[in-house]
Amino acid sequence: MKRVVSVSLGDSSGDFLRNVNLAGVDVEMSRIGCNADMDLAAITLENLDGEVDAIGLGGIDIFLRVGSEEFIIGDGLRLSQHAVKTPVVDGSGLKETLERTTVETMLRNGDLRRGTKVLMVSALDRFGMAEALVAAGCECKFGDLIFNLKIDYPLTTLDELKDLARKYRSRLLTVPFRMLYPTGSAQNERASDNKFAHYFHEADVIAGDRHLILRHMPQELHGKIILTNTTRPTTVDELRRAGVQTLVTTTPDLDGVSGGTNLMEAAVVALAEKPRAALTREDYVEWCQRLGWQGEKHVLN
Amino acid sequence: MSTNEELSHSLRTFADDCNANEKLRVMNRDWNRVIHIHADDTQADFTLTSNDGTVVYSDGAPSTCDLRVSANCEILTQVFYGEVSPNEPYNEGTLRVDGSEDDVLRLDFITAMLWEE
Repeated sequence: MKRVVSVSLGDSSGDFLRNVNLAGVDVEMSRIGCNADMDLAAITLENLDGEVDAIGLGGIDIFLRVGSEEFIIGDGLRLSQHAVKTPVVDGSGLKETLERTTVETMLRNGDLRRGTKVLMVSALDRFGMAEALVAAGCECKFGDLIFNLKIDYPLTTLDELKDLARKYRSRLLTVPFRMLYPTGSAQNERASDNKFAHYFHEADVIAGDRHLILRHMPQELHGKIILTNTTRPTTVDELRRAGVQTLVTTTPDLDGVSGGTNLMEAAVVALAEKPRAALTREDYVEWCQRLGWQGEKHVLN
Repeated sequence: MSTNEELSHSLRTFADDCNANEKLRVMNRDWNRVIHIHADDTQADFTLTSNDGTVVYSDGAPSTCDLRVSANCEILTQVFYGEVSPNEPYNEGTLRVDGSEDDVLRLDFITAMLWEE
C-alpha cells in the first residue's frame, strides 16, 4: 500500500480520502486543506514527512515552467522545504505532460478544432496546456492579468506570457502568494460584478484553474466546454446549472472528485520509486499512458 | 543624498515612461487613482494621478488619495528612476505603500512592466 497526501492551502471543506488501485498497486490518496494557513501547512508537511510515500502541494506552486524557463514561487518553495525525507511535488511535472495529452484527446474527440475560441483563465501555471492549445490552432485569450491582477488586458500569445513571467520573476519570489491567487475560503468567493463575464461569453471553451473559473464565471454558460480539474460534486452541479455542455477534467475521476495535479503527480512519484529529480518528461508520459490518464469527458447537459 | 528636485524629476520621468508605454496605457485605462508620494526626511509631497491611462505629475500633496507611497527622498528617487526594484526597500520596511491590496499590486506591476527585463 502506498500513501500519498495533498497538503493544500485551499479550504478544508474539499478534503477527501480515496483508496484506489493504480497499475496493480493499492494507493491511499487524500487531501488535507489548511485553509490558507501557511503555518498549519508547514506543520502538516513536517508531520507527514517520512510517514507517507509522496506529498503534493496544493493551492500553491513551487515552480512555474514557462517554455524552457523555470520560475520559483518563493512561498511555495519555502513551504515545500518543511519536508526533507518525503518527496514534495506541486503538479508542474504532470501539468506539463497530462494537460497536453488532454488537449490532444479533445482534438481527437472534436471538442477542440482549429479556430476554437478558448479563454484560459490563467496560463502561467499550466504553460503546457497553453502551448498545446496554441499548437492546435485555437484562438486563445490568456487571463493571467485579468483574473490574477484584475488588469483588463487579455494576453493572446505565448511570447506575451513568457515576457510577463520574466518581468515578474523577482515578484514571484517575494510577493505573498495569497495576493496573486485565492487561498482558503477566498477560493469560494464569487466576483461581486460581471466585469469580466464577456470573456466567458465570447469563448467556446473555458480552460484552467477551477477556482478562478468559478469565481468569475457568469451565471449562464450555455453550451460551453470547461477544461479544468480538482472538481467536486458541487462543482459539477454548479456547472450543470449554468448550462455547461461538457466538463473535461485533466485528472481522472476518483469516485466523484478529480484530484489536483499535485496529488496525481505525488501518486506517480510514489509508484515510480525513483527520486523525484530523476523523473523525466518521458517518465510522466509513460506513466500517464500506463495508468490510462488522458483527460475525462463528462457530458453535463 | 537625493534632493527634492531630484525626486521631483524622477517622478516626472516615471510619468513620462508610463505615458510612452502604449501597452501600459491600455492596461491602466480603467485604473483611475491618485497617488501621494511623501518624502519622510524632507517632508516634501508630490502627486501622481492616473486617469484614463495617462499619468500626470504635480507638486504638493493631494486632498485625498488612493495610495500613499512614503520613504526617504533617496529611496523614492531611486525607485521612481527604476534604479532599485521597489520590492527591496518594501521588504526591508524602508518603503511603505498604503492602499488597497489591489492598488498596491497594480503600482508594483507598473514598475515591473517598465523596468524589469
